Amino acid sequence: MAPRDGLAYDADGRLLIDVRGPRFGAAITTAVLAVALVVQGPVGVALVAFQTVVFAVATVLGLAWSPYGTLFRVVKRRLDLGPPPATEHEGPPRFAQACGLAVAGAALVLFALGASTAGWIAVGVVLALSTLLATTGICVGCELYLLAERTRRRSAGPRTAAETEGAR
Amino acid sequence: MTPLVLRLTLVLLLLAAVTLAGWWWNRRDGRVRRADDDATTRVAADHLDAVGLDLAGADAGAVLLGSPTCTPCVAVERVLRELSADRPGFRWVKVDAADHLALTEAHKVLRVPTLLVVDGDRRLLARTSGVPVAGDLAAVLDGDEDREGAAA
Repeated sequence: MAPRDGLAYDADGRLLIDVRGPRFGAAITTAVLAVALVVQGPVGVALVAFQTVVFAVATVLGLAWSPYGTLFRVVKRRLDLGPPPATEHEGPPRFAQACGLAVAGAALVLFALGASTAGWIAVGVVLALSTLLATTGICVGCELYLLAERTRRRSAGPRTAAETEGAR
Repeated sequence: MTPLVLRLTLVLLLLAAVTLAGWWWNRRDGRVRRADDDATTRVAADHLDAVGLDLAGADAGAVLLGSPTCTPCVAVERVLRELSADRPGFRWVKVDAADHLALTEAHKVLRVPTLLVVDGDRRLLARTSGVPVAGDLAAVLDGDEDREGAAA
């Protein structure tokens, strides 16, 4: 994806985001999924579908295009929240969005198959993880990013000593 | 209870339970866990060679396992720089955990940042996950390095 105006990138062209953004987004996700889980029915399923689309946009296009991230930037400007206390690479939070997409997508498939109880349990899992990020700042999907990277690199074969030396 | 009220109650319970669990986890995060006195775990010499930590003539050393995208790792590095500034016998390195799978597996490192603190003889003194408080780490280092010295 081409760089988006007004956003910060590091020297390698990787997006740097405000660390407050994912937590803000998780709060909205929590609200959407909590209401969905309480009301259930067609309205609940529609809310889950909406949230799944939000996850998909952030995963596929990157956090520069994340709907809740964009909303955060608007809120930040309006309320004058000041400069970011710290920035982080988009990799781990984007991976977390992909995890959300996988489980919320699985919930939609279960609804389509008529297994609505199983579907709502899957929604409950996403709700629990987004609540955790919103209220305590712990991003489980971000922690999983390391495990995913390890698996990816291991299957790509171990690096040679010379490569490791060069990377340091 | 109508189903709606029941579901509302369950959702609120879920939110409360998750928040409580996260609060407990955050309290634990960064806590310095000292190795048991009776159990002597050493970090293998070839693992230290691989990460580039040379303990020859050092009193203590530390390996910070991080990743290129890890924000808290930067905070741990700041703590380590602070500690090594007034401790010439303390050496530390930062490496990408994904490049040192043998070390991470030997010491069951599941997340970054993880810090392994060893003495000059490769004995594991303590480990932390998350961002440790500088004073807690200083206590570990000075307990074995500067037993009779004034408290830092």
